[in-house]
Amino acid sequence: MILNVLFAAAAAVTTPPPPAPARPITWPAVTESKLDNGLTVILAPLHNVPKVTLELAFLSGRGSGGVAQLAGRVALEGTATRTSKEIKEELRSIGGSLGADVDRDNTSLSGSALAEFAPKLLEIVADVVRNPSYPAGEVDLAKTNFAGEIEEQRSSPEFVASEQMAKAIFGSHPYAITVPEPAAVAKITREQLKAFAAANYLPNNAFLVVVGDFEPKAMSASIEKSFGSWKRGTLAAAKKIDPPKRQKRAITFIDRPGSVQSTIVIGALAPPRSSADYLALRTASMIYGGAFYSRLTRNVREAKGYSYSPFSSADLRRVAGTFTAEASVRNEVTGPTILEILYELDRMRVAPITDEELASAKTLSVGSMQLELETQAGLTGRIATIYIYNLKHDFLQTFREGINKLTAADIQRAAVRYFDTYRGAIVVVGDYAQVGAQVAPFGDVTVVK
Amino acid sequence: MGLTSLLFAALLNFPVTYYRLPNGLKVVVSESHTSPTVTVAVYYGVGFRIEPKGQTGFAHLFEHMMFQGSANVKKLEHARIIESVGGNTNGSTRLDYTNYYQTLPAEAVETALWLEADRMRSLDVSEENLKNQQNVVSEEVRVNVLNQPYQFFEWLDLWQNANTNWFNAHNFYGDLRDIEAAKIDDVRQFFKTYYAPNNAVLVVVGDVEADAVRKMIEKHFGDIPLQSVPERPDVAEAKQAAEKRVKQTDKLASLPAFAFGYHLPDQESADFAPAVLLDLILQGDDSSRLYQRLVKEKEISLDWAGGINFELGNQFDYDGPMLLAARTTYKAGHTGEEILKEVDEVIKEVQEHGVTKKELADAKVRFRANYYDQVESTQGRANLLASFALFRDDPSRINKIAAKFDAVTAAQVQEVARKYLVPDNRTSIDRVPEVTK
Repeated sequence: MILNVLFAAAAAVTTPPPPAPARPITWPAVTESKLDNGLTVILAPLHNVPKVTLELAFLSGRGSGGVAQLAGRVALEGTATRTSKEIKEELRSIGGSLGADVDRDNTSLSGSALAEFAPKLLEIVADVVRNPSYPAGEVDLAKTNFAGEIEEQRSSPEFVASEQMAKAIFGSHPYAITVPEPAAVAKITREQLKAFAAANYLPNNAFLVVVGDFEPKAMSASIEKSFGSWKRGTLAAAKKIDPPKRQKRAITFIDRPGSVQSTIVIGALAPPRSSADYLALRTASMIYGGAFYSRLTRNVREAKGYSYSPFSSADLRRVAGTFTAEASVRNEVTGPTILEILYELDRMRVAPITDEELASAKTLSVGSMQLELETQAGLTGRIATIYIYNLKHDFLQTFREGINKLTAADIQRAAVRYFDTYRGAIVVVGDYAQVGAQVAPFGDVTVVK
Repeated sequence: MGLTSLLFAALLNFPVTYYRLPNGLKVVVSESHTSPTVTVAVYYGVGFRIEPKGQTGFAHLFEHMMFQGSANVKKLEHARIIESVGGNTNGSTRLDYTNYYQTLPAEAVETALWLEADRMRSLDVSEENLKNQQNVVSEEVRVNVLNQPYQFFEWLDLWQNANTNWFNAHNFYGDLRDIEAAKIDDVRQFFKTYYAPNNAVLVVVGDVEADAVRKMIEKHFGDIPLQSVPERPDVAEAKQAAEKRVKQTDKLASLPAFAFGYHLPDQESADFAPAVLLDLILQGDDSSRLYQRLVKEKEISLDWAGGINFELGNQFDYDGPMLLAARTTYKAGHTGEEILKEVDEVIKEVQEHGVTKKELADAKVRFRANYYDQVESTQGRANLLASFALFRDDPSRINKIAAKFDAVTAAQVQEVARKYLVPDNRTSIDRVPEVTK
């Protein structure tokens, strides 16, 4: 033993110590129930810090024109019994926060507070969705500020690129809309907002996720108290619109004179989150460009030095999604970078990944999911996706098994199907005079000034 | 509030094991078993504040070097190995530390410890890898700064204008020419100077056993030799004599923006806790005085954000001169002068009439909620434990710091407003679009 110790002290270990055997995973205990009015309630205790975190989501997305977005935002600015300032002061007194996010498939109110004030947080959330008053002054201010924010967002090259990509992929489908035109916002009326809230902020159109430091029985009682008497309503039948099928590659160049980089996004239509292909596509994206040791990063960043953070993501929603690969690069390597992104995409399509890549991606998928669930917000968000995107309710419990079943052939099949840039889109935001010629060889370019 | 305060003190009880290896490496281990994960982090006591004069951006460029290979770990292998055991890894450069961290399933804790030990012992960077990362870092500066509207003026430019000591007043992200001029010998010298076990803290937080982890740490880090670390340069900032107002134009922005900062008292002074609560009362959330005045009542600003160590960290993870800063995008047709006039009025009200009992009580609750957010993840806890160990030699402060804030009185808050939030102690930047649309 003494010899061993001396040896260890004299020479450093030269190979990585392998991990101890993987332990069984205990996914968080989640219970689901329904109030009489149709509100689905999901509770998941997590006693890491004395706080609670919640999301109340309505299955009503942003649509077009900005009404849904403005309705969500101004709901927090006044109710029948509380002014905007009173809402914010009450939140302050409970260590609380509350925000509205209107996404493609959902309007979500997300909040948190110190654990001992959970009933008060529920009371405020219930009030803003049940009794929003849309005060005229608040509506006017929010319209002005929303239009200003849109203008501000559009000075960011990443925002413009992602906005254009959604348009290119989704065409006339509502998923094409990221933000409305400022001129359209100016025309929205208070009555439209009230009508939107009345038609959509209904218990039978909603689910409530609560995560954190609470005792389920007491939490259920508080929820019943704040939401139990909420009246159900009649929901309009959802219109089913299929996203367009593209026959050839579309290239959009957004001219941004003075840019010192080109912001490149290459994307294609992806299936709904509930598709049987989801796990394979997610894993293919991880291997391609969703991790640091991914093909895209190794090539474009670590071998070529073209870009700081090239990455890919599979963003799958309720009715469809996008797979995108992105990189921001100095002007002179715009064309070479597009070439490398496409080359790596095709390489995933024509040859199977290695056993090592597959094994690593599986461990990383399961490990990342565990890390994501460390925090209350992480767990809340993950649970919400199950309901927003209509996934099987045992998504977490079966996640490891589903990932571990994947084969190299499954990954290749997903790449063949969804890394299809020949029928996808390319968006470049940059200085056209400087880099336009580098983009032309990849197809017909539509320039937007 | 009495009960709440007591609860706060009682509830925060993270176990903290703290010791030093014979080579001077500070070690903090904190067990927690609510998630099956662990964060392993090494914080080195060098940030961009004290990087070599004339080599702006070097501390951050060097951070990238730490992923470019060591004796037993080739370039890219660090990330490959961490990801293959299910974790993620990254590093960041801040004012007074550079950190390297990985969060991973707890059964792989030793893998991460070994990787960190190997690069602390034997960084090995080639000319080619340096060149590659000079390109990558230049692209990082372009994507995060040069190609963006506003270009982080609320910290990059504000710090350069508010301060006079070079250490506080240089371009922290770095001039592209300086980044491109770095030589391999500079990298080796910097490593030898600052990346010593006796200039670092190793933190392990999560689902592990402290005793077992100690054995691993002694095995992997125990034989890394101690080095002589230079005295820290004098980073003190002379008292500002008069208000500074700066005008800038922006080629890429479509709306004007405004930022300002006041020099703050030292973290260890009695004025610090009242200043933190004053900051929350002025701009801690949407109910705060500045938000209400500028966004809601006067309708000048589109948004409002600000704080201590704004954009760079929190109230505890730095060591040296600091600003209380704020940033707002405002509507065309208004001016920076109008914003300053409103700010001065809001502050004058506090200076003359103080804050209400309710505001102060709420600020303490707000502080507590924010603090929980900071310590909720293993990575967040690691950050505070490392900072308290590195800067104060006392990581157990993570459980004690709250008491200081609970004791603050309204009179102290008012006094701090009078002492520090005066125009002579302020620098502001008004940044307007070059071409008005």
